Amino acid sequence: MEQEPELLNRCLAGEDSAWEALLKAYTRKIYNLCYRFTGRAEEAEDVTQEVFIKVFQTLKTYQATQGSFATWLNRVARNHLVDHYRRARKDRVTSSLEDELAEAEQKPSPHMEPTGQVESRERREVLQLALDKLSPDLREAVILRDLHDLDYEEIAQVLSVPQGTVKSRINRGRLELGRVLKRMEGMRGPAKAGNEP
Amino acid sequence: MTHLEVENLTSEYLEGQLEPGLKREVEAHLNVCPSCVEMLEDVRRVMEMCHAAPQLEPAPWLVPKIMLATVGERKPGWLERWLGVLRPALQARVAYTIAMAVFSLSIIINAAGINLRHLTVEDLNPRTWIFRGNRAGHLFLARAEKFYYDLRVVIEIESRLRQLRYHTPEEQESPKQEPAPGGSTNSVPPAFPALATNQHRFADLAQPGAALRSENVAPLTLEEVRSQNP
Repeated sequence: MEQEPELLNRCLAGEDSAWEALLKAYTRKIYNLCYRFTGRAEEAEDVTQEVFIKVFQTLKTYQATQGSFATWLNRVARNHLVDHYRRARKDRVTSSLEDELAEAEQKPSPHMEPTGQVESRERREVLQLALDKLSPDLREAVILRDLHDLDYEEIAQVLSVPQGTVKSRINRGRLELGRVLKRMEGMRGPAKAGNEP
Repeated sequence: MTHLEVENLTSEYLEGQLEPGLKREVEAHLNVCPSCVEMLEDVRRVMEMCHAAPQLEPAPWLVPKIMLATVGERKPGWLERWLGVLRPALQARVAYTIAMAVFSLSIIINAAGINLRHLTVEDLNPRTWIFRGNRAGHLFLARAEKFYYDLRVVIEIESRLRQLRYHTPEEQESPKQEPAPGGSTNSVPPAFPALATNQHRFADLAQPGAALRSENVAPLTLEEVRSQNP
């Protein structure tokens, strides 16, 4: 890939091809971040598009002295996700954990998947459901640390909070996630056992 | 160390970021507290699950969609515009037609005897093309005709020779020559009677036409055929 500062300069100069290259380089990462926050593929696509529109409009405000472009991009995405969450919370009808679990279990598989893939998909869905149960502060800290492999310093920059707060949120988030997963397994266990002949 | 203190240090302990003293205290507590061990295992499992979670692929239309929303309809570059103009010419049918036209032209140029490396003004005159083409055609015909007659002569000679060797019935019935007593180096093996009886003819073949004349066969030589068929 082309050197990032060079690519950014070309973007600022108005070169469409440079902007396209930048999009191709970061869309996947931002889409994953959005998906982990929203839990829905279509919503994640919309939010990803909104994030990049914002990035396109505010790219000239990025300064390399403040940190890497990836960190700046993550910060823009995170701020937008927080706004999106606040907007969506007003409209969203919260469903109970049991309903969501039942929905996840009844969701038909689009194709006959091999056992390994089915297990992987189930695990991914369970993880996503459990993440949805966390408060936004804890969720974003866990996502950035464990799903996006950012270090504490980068997370502190993205969230604009001290590193101590980041560590505390990550720890609390993991503990909470562990409890949620355990509860979910407790509910899935008897349900599955009941289905068996 | 209390449960709450261990709980607060769980992540740092699992990530190996604790100072040795604190780490020992945590481990000492874990040795006597099964509930904290269980909690630690839950967190470890969460971390493993997150790290094992695969990256999701966005839909292929997402980047074009964002491009459209940000920079609008993308203007094609000069190269793309040219390729757009040339695209119809790149179809297999058109390419085949062009190739055939070039091939035909090269044949005509070759037949007209035009040397493209040393092109003169005269070479561009259509009358010159016709004259040279006509000449080249006649030369080709003459060569073909000459080759045909040469070939005919060779075949005729070969067939006559074959006749002389094997198809003279009265000579085949003639008595065999008795081998000279004591043997001779000039004697012919009895397995080839025709060859033995025609030995004198092979000697005559050294003189062109002699053997043919003796058998009342029209004596043809290459020079005669050529003089008959210029």
